[in-house]
Amino acid sequence: MSGTDERIRQVGLVQSFVARPELGSVFGLAIIVITFMIMTSISGTFSAMWTNPIGIQAWVELAAFVGILAIGASLLMIAGEFDLSIGANIALAGHSFALLLIFGVPVAPAILLTFVELAFLGFIIGVIVVRTGLPSFIVTLGFWFASRGFAVFLSQTLLNQSRLSVKPQLKAPAGGGEDPTIIDNLFAFDKGFGLPFDAEVYYFAILVIMVALMLQKSRFGNWIYAAGGDPTAARAVGVPVNRVKISLFMLSACLACLLGVLTVMTSGASDPKAGDFRELHAIAAAVIGGCALTGGYGSVIGAVLGAFIFAIASRGINFVPFIDNNMFRVMLGLLILGAAFLNQFLRNRVLKG
Amino acid sequence: MAQQTTTPTIQLKGVSKFFGNIIALKDVSFKAHKGQVTALLGDNGAGKSTLIKVLSGVHIPDEGDILIDGIPTTFKTPRDAAVLGIGTVYQDLALQPLMSVTRNFFLGREISKGVFLDMNRMNEITRTEMAKLGIDVADPTQPIGTMSGGQRQTLAIARAIYFGAKVLILDEPTSALGQKQQLEVLRTVNQVREMNEIAIIFITHNDMHARLIGDRYTFLNRGRVLADGDRDEIDMDNLRALMAGGAELAELESEFQNTST
Repeated sequence: MSGTDERIRQVGLVQSFVARPELGSVFGLAIIVITFMIMTSISGTFSAMWTNPIGIQAWVELAAFVGILAIGASLLMIAGEFDLSIGANIALAGHSFALLLIFGVPVAPAILLTFVELAFLGFIIGVIVVRTGLPSFIVTLGFWFASRGFAVFLSQTLLNQSRLSVKPQLKAPAGGGEDPTIIDNLFAFDKGFGLPFDAEVYYFAILVIMVALMLQKSRFGNWIYAAGGDPTAARAVGVPVNRVKISLFMLSACLACLLGVLTVMTSGASDPKAGDFRELHAIAAAVIGGCALTGGYGSVIGAVLGAFIFAIASRGINFVPFIDNNMFRVMLGLLILGAAFLNQFLRNRVLKG
Repeated sequence: MAQQTTTPTIQLKGVSKFFGNIIALKDVSFKAHKGQVTALLGDNGAGKSTLIKVLSGVHIPDEGDILIDGIPTTFKTPRDAAVLGIGTVYQDLALQPLMSVTRNFFLGREISKGVFLDMNRMNEITRTEMAKLGIDVADPTQPIGTMSGGQRQTLAIARAIYFGAKVLILDEPTSALGQKQQLEVLRTVNQVREMNEIAIIFITHNDMHARLIGDRYTFLNRGRVLADGDRDEIDMDNLRALMAGGAELAELESEFQNTST
């Protein structure tokens, strides 16, 4: 009647490793790094990309930018939802922040108000998705148009400009001021900790650790998986599925807000094209990182590795003159397809045991 | 086995439920004792689902009383019922195939140590509780997608018991399974009966399973109780006819024989 033999098989170490959702992206990252190391060696640009601080900065900062968005995108995807509005929300956040500064609001409250605005926007998106039952793909496609449109409409109507410069309102480093405040240091530092990186890299590192721990080790993380795996079953055992999803849309919008504010703080201006297409890059990173589009499966670490794959391929192509820049898109497309295929294969292996 | 002198763990007295002008349940009386399997039988549309939903707090009855351990009670929500020890295992089991055995066991009621989940403790409890029902889970961190249908049923039952079910309602637990797994589930149900603490309400279409496992039988037909009694009070040979709603099967039989001759 009992007996380990026929009922449950022992699962070995190799098996548990294969069962990790980020396995595909580990391979992918290894392949991309080796490929670009070889290609830069051939072009004689190896040190420019891999040892020169400016070269490293180029792809690490892009990975951080896409990676911050991919954190939100992967959590949402695990919960069975999509957010196409994140790229546009970067522009909305940047413009909101810049307008507040221009109309005389000091930096700290302007940042706070911008976060409140974007969190509220995420709340609205989440409520619409949960209440109407419309696919989040459609709902956030609406906001993909609306967010950027509204940002530019506001700046055009109020100031008759689409690009907003806030250099005078900011201190170091963007404004060139003498006496940076704590807030300036917090949002606009670069070359910190002896490393050649802007602020977003440090935010990225902290966020990855926090969110990965939350997803694997906390009760809320458990609920995220359940909300995407089988929402009906999750509700039946008392998981507040709607609250989980709405909070993730709020987090996603706040991550876009962080990037919008950081970009304005470091560059001293808000560009209406900020974050264009970044939503697709973040989703690509999440897919490469092993998140299932159907929900219930995936990892933040995988999405982060996906962001590095994207960034190394994206920036690396500039160090390899013998490959056409347009070929980058072809490569990236094949990479996404290959990763999706590999991940599906691995996921089926998990179920078969 | 049958101790009719004790108070039933759960009892319905004269319960009726109407949906508009539809009479879903009329004057239904029903009881289940701990350490017993009460088989709830009846054809589609007999009112089994409505009765389960009344028992588990999804529907509030329009007439009649629900008594738990002899005390009249009202459930306004499924949560009220759950708090009072009604554990319902639905056909779809409410499980997450890609999540681990332990994570499924504790989903929605996780144990934390500080901010983080106490996985070691939860793994240990899962293993112990499953072992009580005769399943040795070597690795509770594996996804339940790898378990058989019968094992998943056991997991859902073990979970309901661990979280305090005094009454275990099993909604057609064998219907979606292969023959061998059906027997596995019946074994599990028997294990629960032998704990002698839990009243089991076993809903089924399968007269063979009902005959194997039942201590008490309640037959529903068109929202009313057609027959009700202990194992020794029921004409076991007539089980199938009662399930089909009384004499209808016999009528059909004679009808067919008349047409064929």
